[in-house]
Amino acid sequence: MKTPGLRYLGAALIVLLGIWAGLKFRSVHRVPEPGVPVAAGLASAPDPNENVAIETASHPVIPARLPDFSLNDLSGKPTSIAAWTGKSLVINFWATWCAPCRREIPLLKALAADWAGRDLMVVGIAVDYPDKVRQFAGQLKIDYPVLIGEQDALDVAAKFGMDAPVFPFTVFTDRRGEVVALFVGELHRPQADFILSEVQNLNQERIQLPEARRAIAAGLAVMAGKNAG
Amino acid sequence: MRGIDSNETDFLPPDVAFRVAARIDGNVVKVRWVIADGYYLYRQKIEVRAESPDLVLSAPSLPPGTVKTDPYLGTQQVYFQQVEGLVPYSRIDAGAHPMQIKVTYQGCAEAGLCYPPITKVVFPTVGSPAVVTSVPPPRWESIAIIAGACAFLLAGLVLRKGRKLELPA
Repeated sequence: MKTPGLRYLGAALIVLLGIWAGLKFRSVHRVPEPGVPVAAGLASAPDPNENVAIETASHPVIPARLPDFSLNDLSGKPTSIAAWTGKSLVINFWATWCAPCRREIPLLKALAADWAGRDLMVVGIAVDYPDKVRQFAGQLKIDYPVLIGEQDALDVAAKFGMDAPVFPFTVFTDRRGEVVALFVGELHRPQADFILSEVQNLNQERIQLPEARRAIAAGLAVMAGKNAG
Repeated sequence: MRGIDSNETDFLPPDVAFRVAARIDGNVVKVRWVIADGYYLYRQKIEVRAESPDLVLSAPSLPPGTVKTDPYLGTQQVYFQQVEGLVPYSRIDAGAHPMQIKVTYQGCAEAGLCYPPITKVVFPTVGSPAVVTSVPPPRWESIAIIAGACAFLLAGLVLRKGRKLELPA
């Protein structure tokens, strides 16, 4: 009995060792394959049940709350994002060389106008050279606050989990400064209205944050499906 | 949603969206970009410069691209799928040092997002087909499966060795 028992044990150990070795190789060497999309994108938010930074397997950390930062405005004056504490924010990261970013500007202007006086601010963060941004902001008559930075603006993008950013991306916060959504790519009116309606629901305490985030994720997925179709 | 849910419009990391490689063919360096479906590179944003001190590069010769018109950026030429630039070169020290070039390029996804300019140092290979600098990863999943299968077979052999055929009396 002893010998067969040992053999079974040895066999089991070998199988387990093989599986462990395979999984170890896989976890150490796993990198994205060409053509396989990274699970990131349209909208992001941290785990609604936690109020600390969350790290996903293949992505940088996205803050649960609006991080503190300061950048120069169009006139060169240092401006803290805390200047708009108590308001819901639509923080749009963009650059002048980025065509979809430019296409978004009229929508952002319209949102700023539509929500004026309703505790919501649109803030642009241009990751670009100040002269180019001033020239462009003048051409397009951007009338919402724009902050500008180069490496310092990239550092701010990294605070939102975008260490290697693509542009544009837009962060939505509620009036308590909680990050409700992070939308990557060109924002369109239906998506913006939908996210802002959930932000409003949150602000008026009709729903809780986890519920809002789930609703936004589901709604955007449906919209993306419609667009794909 | 990142962190809690998947979503429908994902984007590729820059080194996957745009893969670059270079090879030496006679007195020309051929720099090739392989561009993922749904992504494109701007022709006018492509630059190739000498990185090794002994290397002198001429301006890259790029094929005409697809014309893309944007209301804000105007008309530009872009490349889809792939593009190869030809860069005549000469070397001061007759090749005593490994050749290094620095390539800069910038592109976007048609889904509506853009990558900042990307700069990479590339080591052109000699004679052989271009090797993409962002090497496609080995299929480690396959290794995991094979390792598991080998272990299973080995275990079977261990068990078989001690087993005797029992015939009916």
